[in-house]
Formats: sequence, structure tokens, C-alpha cells
Amino acid sequence: MCKIIHYRNKCIGCGACHDLHPDLWRMSKKDGKATLVRAIEKKQTYILDYPMAEADVFKELVACCPVRIIKVI
Amino acid sequence: MAKRKIELLAPAGSFDSLHAAIQAGADAVYFGIEQLNMRARSADPFVIEDLSKIKSICMTHGIRTYITLNTVMYEHDMQLLKSVLSEVKAQGIDAVIGADFAVLELCKQMGIPLHISTQANVSNIESVRFFSPYADLIVLARELTLKQTHDIIREIERKDIRGVSGERMKIEIFVHGALCMAVSGKCYLSLHSQNASANRGACIQNCRHPYRVIDTETGEELLVDNEYIMSPKDLCTIHILDQIVDIGVDVLKIEGRSKGPDYVHTVTSCYREALQAIEDGTYTEERVKEWVKRLESVYNREFWEGYYLGRKLGEWTSNPGSAATQRKVYLGKGVRYYSKIEVGEFLIETGTLKSGDMIMITSPNFGMHSEKLTTLVVNGEPDTSASRGDRITLPIKYKISGKDKLYKLLQS
Repeated sequence: MCKIIHYRNKCIGCGACHDLHPDLWRMSKKDGKATLVRAIEKKQTYILDYPMAEADVFKELVACCPVRIIKVI
Repeated sequence: MAKRKIELLAPAGSFDSLHAAIQAGADAVYFGIEQLNMRARSADPFVIEDLSKIKSICMTHGIRTYITLNTVMYEHDMQLLKSVLSEVKAQGIDAVIGADFAVLELCKQMGIPLHISTQANVSNIESVRFFSPYADLIVLARELTLKQTHDIIREIERKDIRGVSGERMKIEIFVHGALCMAVSGKCYLSLHSQNASANRGACIQNCRHPYRVIDTETGEELLVDNEYIMSPKDLCTIHILDQIVDIGVDVLKIEGRSKGPDYVHTVTSCYREALQAIEDGTYTEERVKEWVKRLESVYNREFWEGYYLGRKLGEWTSNPGSAATQRKVYLGKGVRYYSKIEVGEFLIETGTLKSGDMIMITSPNFGMHSEKLTTLVVNGEPDTSASRGDRITLPIKYKISGKDKLYKLLQS
């Protein structure tokens, strides 16, 4: 199990994460930012438990964000 | 050509800078909110809810307000764009600065005054005419010469090109601040290296790094006289401001929404004084030297006058970062204000402060203030120096709060 963490308030809505994993992310029609689908919110930080042992798989996802607000642990 | 009232437009990337611009005599300010502006990477961007506060501060001081909505817009941005524009209309923000056609069309539909951003790279009279049914003002491309700018202004007069409001189309140009190595932001370096699109306001400024050019076939390094081969010096026009005024530009823009209140205050006040001097007939070489000296004290990558005098190639900076002659060192933050005796209290969190030091206070409530510290009161007693953990008090007319920051100014 790994955790995908999204510090959403700093998102600039470029859509790079959504392009990479359209199943994980959707672009909010309301505020134009990326939303991590089914994530749980804690103080504007969104966390999703993901059934994947290797966090390395998401290296590309972490690197694609221009403002570095996606973490996978 | 009849002299026009020239508007000095200053950047406001934060409430600190907004107040600094007002203090320094700006006629108008521009700012971005949320992510749809070219400084989306900013540490502490304004949000929609700040609009009413910005407008009320500016109304109190008789300052015009322009909001930047000048990034590339995607499909998923449309709702946010509409929400922002509704609030812009509701708050009576004076104009939107945009380049994307969605912004143009929506502003027209909603009856919001529009300025065409430099991102549209308007460089000729036909483009001005094209945009005239949508906008009242064009920010010209930064790559034009003064002669080309003058020609456009003359043609607007001659052809009587009017904006959407029915008034003569106005022209704005950049007079001071950072320049881009590409044609005003049309750059993909940052996108290629860090997936950070400059056209979404996320530029990481690869062009500001030093580079070496190596022939990969032979391994030989090309001799370039400067490693900063892509980093232009900053634009400074204070020495040719009389020529700019003469050709009939309506608005003079200062770049720098990512810069601090000290920068905004210094640059705005220099250009304000220079404009006044031109009007009074006291604009002299000596005064220009003085202003340049002051401009050099805040963040800069050395100066040149851009393309206005017809230079074909940019001048490149020779330094990493800033060549400012003055450096600010953070000391601590505001604690409280004793209104009756007009004394502010600060907590020193790092470094040391001595009497005789130049200090600067920045604040989201009043902008910036700097002075030479003549007497120092540490923890209630007169003293010669203060260090970490100490509380200092000083007489000041501004109301100090916990959001204010105290700096020491040092000569670099």
C-alpha cells in the first residue's frame, strides 16, 4: 500500500497529472484545479491510499507536477 | 502632439506590495488572483475572496485596479474564469488584462473593460484595430522600438481607432523590470526541463542559469564571452523617459509581481518623481543618475534600455541573481503596537541589530517603511545592540502587527 498526497491549494491547473493518469485525477470544472479522485481531505491536503507496494511506480507522476505538490510515499 | 496625463502602473503581488505601490505614488496597480495569471507560481497568491479588499483599499486611495487573466486557458479553466469575471464585475475592478480569446469574448459579453496583454504581442496598427472592438488599451509587445511605438500611436490618432468604450485606443508599454529571453513569454524551456509551462505562469527561469556551449562531435567548447547567454539584463528607461512621454504613451508599466514591497516602492517612487520632473522641467542628467542609483539598490540583473532605442540583440547579465547594491537581511517580526505613544514592538528572531543600522519594515497593512535606527531600546532599556530573543521598540507612525517583518539593510 502506498499513499498519494496532493497539496491541492497550490495547484495551478496545468492538467499534467490528469494527462498521465486520467483514472486517478480529474480536472475540476468548478475551480480548474486537479482533483485526486476518492482521496480524503485533511486541511486542504488530499490523501489517497493506493494498493501498490512500490511507490517508485509513481515517479513519473511526482515529476510531472510543475509546482511539485504531488508526493507518493 | 498634445500632452496626455500619463498613468504609472505598478505591480502588486501581495498586500505588502499593493500598499508600497500606493505609498510610492502609483496611479494604478495590477495583480493576479488564483492560478490564471503569469505569476501562478508565486508563494502567496491572491484568491477570489481578496478582490473586495483590494478594491476597497484602492478606492480609498483613488487608485485604479487591473486584474491579470493572461495565461493560456484550457477547457477546464472556463468555469473558474467565469467565476473570477463575475466577481471582477461585482467588485467593479477597472479592467481585465487578457490575451486568450475566451477572456476577450467573455469580457465583451459581460461588459467588463479589457486591456490586451503583452502576451498577445501586438506589434502593428492592424492588430490594434483588430482588438479595438474588444478592448480599450493595448499593452504593446516589449520588442518594439520607440519609433515603432510612436508610429502605432500616430496611426491610432490618424485613423481615429477607438476602443470598445468609444474612447481613443490607449497604449501601454513596459518601462522597468525583468525581460524575457523569448518574445514576451513565448518560451518552452521551462516546460521541457521541468514540465513547468511559462505560459501557465509556472516558469522556473532556466534562462537565468549560466550555460556552456559544447560541440558534441568534437567535444570542443565554443568560446562565449558570457556564461549567461540567455539571461537578459533588466529593462530600465528612466534615462529615456522624456522620449517615452513625448511619443504619447498613455500608461507606463513596471514589471515585478513576484518582487517585494521594497522593490515596488523604490521603482515606483523613482518613476513617479521622474514623471513629475519631466512635467516641471526639472528632468536633468544629474537627477537621472540619482534615480538610477536608487534603482540599483533593489533587485536587478543590471540595466539596459531594452529594444526601445533599436538594439537588435539583448544585453546579457553577468551575474547569477541580483546585482542590487543593497541587501535585506531578515531580523524578526512585529509583535504589537502602542497606539497612544506611537511605538511598535518587534521580536528579533535571527541576526543582530545595532543602533545606526538601516532598517526596513514590510507590512500587508501599510507597505514598507525604512529608516536609520538612531536609538535602540532593547527589552525596555536603551542599548547598543539586540540579538535573537530580544524585543525592541521604536517610535513609528504605522500601526505594527504580527504580520509585519523587520529587516536590516546592508550594502552589498
